[in-house]
Amino acid sequence: MSERRSIGSVLSRLLLVDLFKGLAVTLRYNARALVEARDGADPTQAIYTAQYPKERPLVGERWRGAPKLNNDPRTGESLCIACNICALVCPVDVISVGQANREVRDGEKRKKKKVLTTFEFDTSRCMFCGLCQEQCPTLCLELTQEFELAVESRAGLVWDREMLEKGIHVVTYKK
Amino acid sequence: MSGPIALHWAPQAASPPPPPPVVPSWSPVELIESIGVPHGFAEYVVWPAVQLALILFVVLTAVAYLTYLERKVAAFIQARLGPMRVGPVGLLQPLADGLKLLSKEDLVPAGADRFVYLAAPVLAVTAALGLLVLVPFGAAWGTVTDINIGLLFLLAVASIGVLGIVLAGWASNSKYALLGAMRSSAQLVSYEVALGLALVGPLLFARTLSMQEIVESQRFTGLWWVAVQPLAFVVYFIGSLAETNRAPFDLPESESELVAGFHVEYSGFRWSLFFMAEYANIIITSAIAATVFLGGWSMPGLETAVSWIAGTDATTPLYSTAFTLLSIGVFAGKVLVLVYVVMWVRWTLPRYRYDQLMDLGWRWLIPVSLANILISAFAFLVAMRPDQGGLLGLVEVTKNGLWMGWAGTAYFLLVNLATFAMAAWLLAKLNKTAWSTDLHALRRVEALRRAGRLATAEEARAE
Repeated sequence: MSERRSIGSVLSRLLLVDLFKGLAVTLRYNARALVEARDGADPTQAIYTAQYPKERPLVGERWRGAPKLNNDPRTGESLCIACNICALVCPVDVISVGQANREVRDGEKRKKKKVLTTFEFDTSRCMFCGLCQEQCPTLCLELTQEFELAVESRAGLVWDREMLEKGIHVVTYKK
Repeated sequence: MSGPIALHWAPQAASPPPPPPVVPSWSPVELIESIGVPHGFAEYVVWPAVQLALILFVVLTAVAYLTYLERKVAAFIQARLGPMRVGPVGLLQPLADGLKLLSKEDLVPAGADRFVYLAAPVLAVTAALGLLVLVPFGAAWGTVTDINIGLLFLLAVASIGVLGIVLAGWASNSKYALLGAMRSSAQLVSYEVALGLALVGPLLFARTLSMQEIVESQRFTGLWWVAVQPLAFVVYFIGSLAETNRAPFDLPESESELVAGFHVEYSGFRWSLFFMAEYANIIITSAIAATVFLGGWSMPGLETAVSWIAGTDATTPLYSTAFTLLSIGVFAGKVLVLVYVVMWVRWTLPRYRYDQLMDLGWRWLIPVSLANILISAFAFLVAMRPDQGGLLGLVEVTKNGLWMGWAGTAYFLLVNLATFAMAAWLLAKLNKTAWSTDLHALRRVEALRRAGRLATAEEARAE
């Protein structure tokens, strides 16, 4: 070694200063883990672990998750007018809308109206781009905040109208 | 000019040595005798059996919960939560682990030496648990037995445990296991020396090998031997990390190189026996450190606390019970602190490379502990009373232990500084040619060299 060591560096090597610095860091983390609240109030908190599924993570506001067909909250009927725009706009063709022309009585007039019969949504191929949701004229089709889409069979990935209207069943765990 | 040099100014130990501290006389043997058990049978069979059962239960539970503690400490240090699902904050996790391990298949690999393979974990765990007999858990009846070569016996039996590791590696018929076992034996040979030499320092002051008397000697002097032998304590601690194969010396089971080292092939309960042996060994090395360096079960103010609970009559059963239980608590606290430090170190420091490990053992720890023994012995000799063969008369050797006044204590604290300086000087001389680990300096030097080479190459081209 051509360079001569200074007294300070020799002393700090002898007294293992760097080693104790490292130990101090880990001890600080250990103490903070015991003391600190994990509520996210402090942006520099030590532990961020969320106890999923006992704690549900907060997904983003614009998160695009499980699809849902909304009903009219007043009448309870589907908001869908079977316009087929969602199926047309879908880049991967996961939506197929079944429609029928029905005669509907509106007061004294009889008129023909297109109504929704079936709605199929293949979540296995969906890429959650959200174009269907944006195009829906009646705000019927919506991609919700739910993200637990796993099922036990491949067939279960194709959602029918009933599933889409009810939404998926999410098990909640006590903390 | 005959006879030893007499120094007239030499202070005699200022006050006469105090009487030995109280030790309660009552023991539960009397309780067992009172229900009609003959004396010898009660004292040598019934009571030890009760003690052993209690100790085994407590220590095995402690071992199980040390795995929990280890996982929690690791998690907290790495900003995680650790086990949280089994029971409140994961407190039943050791139970779940135990059940899982018990129900797993006990595999014996093809080509393994069957008998040795099956016997090795038993050997490891027996050596570890057998040592518990000699650990002075507490005062009076808190200890199973006390033999006059206690510490020597502990060290001797502790090294049998490594035989289990070596045999496991050999019998597994696997290259990883064999390499792990090989490293383990080399590590043992190099660190056992430093470990043993480090214990000689405090024994100069304790003047006995019996574990209980080592504690009593510190109680009598009113000083923990870590105060007069800090260097030995550091060396012992590092050596005990290496002895128990803990990080940063966990080369025998280094995960990233040897998968799991000597126990790669083990599964189920035999694997957990190795784990139990490891944690029991941590407890025992920490217990030895607590006994020899940190005053064992003694604590300033322990007697006062007992007298608050049970009065001052040392012969009553209540006094004896309170004293024993409190002293066990103190001892457990000290051991727990040491165990925590062991874990803390494990999750902070990276593993040594094999040559660095040998370097540390042979070039640093052994010279330091040797120098420490020499300097301490010399300083001790100088400090003894002239009529006992010394010079200054700062320390008096009585039959209960060492008696040193304030002057003696101050003298030994000063000697510590001198020891540290001399050890540092010795190490600097010894390791002048040692390979430097200062990477910044190495890089700087390498850059300078390269610049020099480039300059000469330029000159050559110019010519």
